[in-house]
Amino acid sequence: MSEQHSIVEIWVYLSGSPLFALFITLAAYQIGLWIYKSTKQNPLANPVAIAIILVASLIQYVEMPYSTYFEGAQFIHFLLGSATVSLAIPIYRGLSSLKGRSLPLLASLVTGGLVSIISAVNIAKWLGADSGITGAMYPKSVTAPIAMGIAERIGVSPTLTAIFAVTTGILGAILAPFILNALGMKAWWQRGFAIGIGAHGIGTSRAFSIHPEAGTYASLAMGMNGVISAVAIPILYHWFN
Amino acid sequence: MISGLVQILLFQSLGELISKFLLPTLPGPVIGLVLLILWLVLRKGINAELAMVADGFSQYFGLLFVPAAVGVVLFLPQLKANAVAIVSALLISIILTIASSAVVVRFLSPKPTEEGHS
Repeated sequence: MSEQHSIVEIWVYLSGSPLFALFITLAAYQIGLWIYKSTKQNPLANPVAIAIILVASLIQYVEMPYSTYFEGAQFIHFLLGSATVSLAIPIYRGLSSLKGRSLPLLASLVTGGLVSIISAVNIAKWLGADSGITGAMYPKSVTAPIAMGIAERIGVSPTLTAIFAVTTGILGAILAPFILNALGMKAWWQRGFAIGIGAHGIGTSRAFSIHPEAGTYASLAMGMNGVISAVAIPILYHWFN
Repeated sequence: MISGLVQILLFQSLGELISKFLLPTLPGPVIGLVLLILWLVLRKGINAELAMVADGFSQYFGLLFVPAAVGVVLFLPQLKANAVAIVSALLISIILTIASSAVVVRFLSPKPTEEGHS
């Protein structure tokens, strides 16, 4: 009895400190990375998706409220802001290697950004999703920290937006190689840029794991998309609503 | 590494301050990002410490999304009720977004490059 008692005490202590949430988040991501590597970087074995499924199932199983988990995991979450600022470095590197590519890149960015919003919002609306969901679709192709900031400013749920943004990133990272191969895209910088627009951060880490030039242009696309969307989406949102 | 983190946090704080008091329409980290790009352009270069921290972040960017995305547990009923709409909207939109960006950038590019592809 006393042994069981002490296990409960340890559990209560651990689940009340940030340690548990930090540990399961990092461990789940490590497992995800390990699976990703052992499947020879198969896009279907996305480490972020694996980590989210593992952590979500685990906290459901131990009946830990999300708010308790987040109290601990917020230390990881906080770094999203710093990671967003650090996007300046790949953007700067990309900018200095543009070599007259700025016009096609800018046109691609505006096209991709508009196609993303118009298609997602209208398909969701047409299939009967409520306005809470369609609203959260607006910033879904923007990297999650910026998307959540935009969501707060247009008055939709930042969590739903984060879920859509992350799902978009994961699905985009999985689908991008097939789409780009089907279109016969050969240049690494063009492939990377399209991945960065469609699949932001998660697509970018995948692009980096395949080719450095693709990664640089993917982060350039993600960063530029984030900055332009932060200005444009609140305007577009109020225009359409 | 510490000096790199100090630089990032400094620009993040500047961004948050400007967002709070001057430009509430833009999220703080976005302003910090733009300021840091301007600073790098002015100084014409990235110092090694800053590059190291930034490369670390970009390598593990995915991990940082996990805490927010686990919030999916709060929205399971709403997501289930709208599952078809959400999945179709996201899937079709991703395909159209990547395809349209790729086509535009290729057809507006000055020279077709012959590099390898995966």
